[in-house]
Amino acid sequence: MRTAVAGTLAELGDERPDLVVLCADARALALRFAARHPERSIDVGIAEANLMGVAAGIARTGRPVVVCGMAPFLVRRAAEQLRVDVAGPGLDVTVLGVGGGVAYGTLGASHHAPEDLGAVAAMPGTRVYSPADVHDARWAVRDAVGGAGPAYVRLGPRENHLVHAGDERFGPDGLLDGTLPADVLVVAAGATVAPALAAARAARERGVAVAVLRLVQVWPFPAAAVRAAAHGATRVVTVEEHDTGSGIGAQTALTLCGSWSGETAFLGIGHGPAPVAEQEGLFRHHRIDEAAVLDAVMLERGSM
Amino acid sequence: MPSLRSAAAARRRILGYARGRTVHLGSSLSVVDVLAEVLRRVHAADPGAPRSPVVLSKGHAVWALYALLAEHGHPRYTDAHGLPGHPADGFPGIDVATGSLGHGLSIAAGMAEAFRLDAQERPVYVVLGDGELDEGSVWEAAMFAAHRGLRHLVAVVDVNGLQQEGPTREVLDTSPLDRKWEAFGWRVVPADGHDADDLASALDLAEQADAPAVVLARTVKGKGVPFMEHDLAWHTATLDEARYADAVRGLEP
Repeated sequence: MRTAVAGTLAELGDERPDLVVLCADARALALRFAARHPERSIDVGIAEANLMGVAAGIARTGRPVVVCGMAPFLVRRAAEQLRVDVAGPGLDVTVLGVGGGVAYGTLGASHHAPEDLGAVAAMPGTRVYSPADVHDARWAVRDAVGGAGPAYVRLGPRENHLVHAGDERFGPDGLLDGTLPADVLVVAAGATVAPALAAARAARERGVAVAVLRLVQVWPFPAAAVRAAAHGATRVVTVEEHDTGSGIGAQTALTLCGSWSGETAFLGIGHGPAPVAEQEGLFRHHRIDEAAVLDAVMLERGSM
Repeated sequence: MPSLRSAAAARRRILGYARGRTVHLGSSLSVVDVLAEVLRRVHAADPGAPRSPVVLSKGHAVWALYALLAEHGHPRYTDAHGLPGHPADGFPGIDVATGSLGHGLSIAAGMAEAFRLDAQERPVYVVLGDGELDEGSVWEAAMFAAHRGLRHLVAVVDVNGLQQEGPTREVLDTSPLDRKWEAFGWRVVPADGHDADDLASALDLAEQADAPAVVLARTVKGKGVPFMEHDLAWHTATLDEARYADAVRGLEP
């Protein structure tokens, strides 16, 4: 995902002669941009608070800014600068956070950010994206930079499995896999789209009508699309590589509360301790992997 | 704008704002001469050129800025009704919203970077408090500005020696400020923060420096009101009519 986005960023630099890219001693995303536009590429060193403040200062002069870095340090260490200096005044700053969720696996809890999407979504006027593969990642970065105001894109540190076709038309309402009305609706975003799609295939083989709503933009939350997709379903399952209380599960619950009734399952990351494991192992531990989604889907049929 | 005369009028306004609502009086009174000189320079510049931004990083002293802007003819600031306690966007003459300490130097450095990209020579002014220098992000920004050679970045520190809970030397000693800033790659210019001529000379030197420059302006918290000077009790205060009359007496034009 990082290689693809680095190319997109370089293209945006060609198209937007005012675009400035900042990083904090983590240049992988910015290297291709910097090679073509060295004067508009700035490395501030390992200083995320200053990074976000400098981004705000540049953006206040009218230039769009892209900030690249590791998600945990951008959304936690620089949270106040992001909230007060960037989001408050609605500046055109796009933050590319690599390794949100638990993507950094065995590097440990300091390098995990299971709260990044919700934390940024809580800041005023932000758009938040959680792409699943290179195709929607490219779209998300272009949409984030091309729109007005602050945006955050969670990116994976490795090349994720392809889950989308290259020619799909991404948009703020996400993409539907399967047909409506479905007995079970699964709502997923980012790295849980792959296990959601795999579980849906397995469930269909067992005769269950399942639809998967694949979200790329998770904030503003596409409430109307979720409500429409849930219409007629008897069970809604959400699965996210994110804190369950502040992510797409919570937003789905808020959306459906009072207008839909049925069974629900909200799969996500809780607050308990986790083992030392790579991302896949942590998905198993937190029960956001294919098996867990299949369990949640099939429960409605009483077959598990 | 004759800055000292304007600052005296601004002090009266600051005290007036505190009739009926809580205002950061001590800091506003210490920084008002510094801000008066900075605004005088900004407004004296070529009217055809884009105005230099002023970032009040010690945002709690916004009452000094409001008062000076009122002296510059902004009617929004003739009374305190509806004015936020820290600089906010959307108010005339306010260039950057601040309030969380330790943010302004980074923002100003970003502006200086952008002006350099635009091949604009205009200075960017940022005013900090000495208590604010406790924040680590200030020193991240200081290193950054020197490393990047942002020579049009001009900082002024309002060195009044007092922060919310006591003397800065007792709460967190950041001395020696001159050697610290020098070690971080800045040109350092000391000044009497209540002497308009001295401030003007110091800012002249700072603007002409070959690196980012900081004016260390020695000031007195509560300056201009004898019973408030050096007294932390007036860090924030609301004035009743009797106290207001006492305070403003020494500031008659």
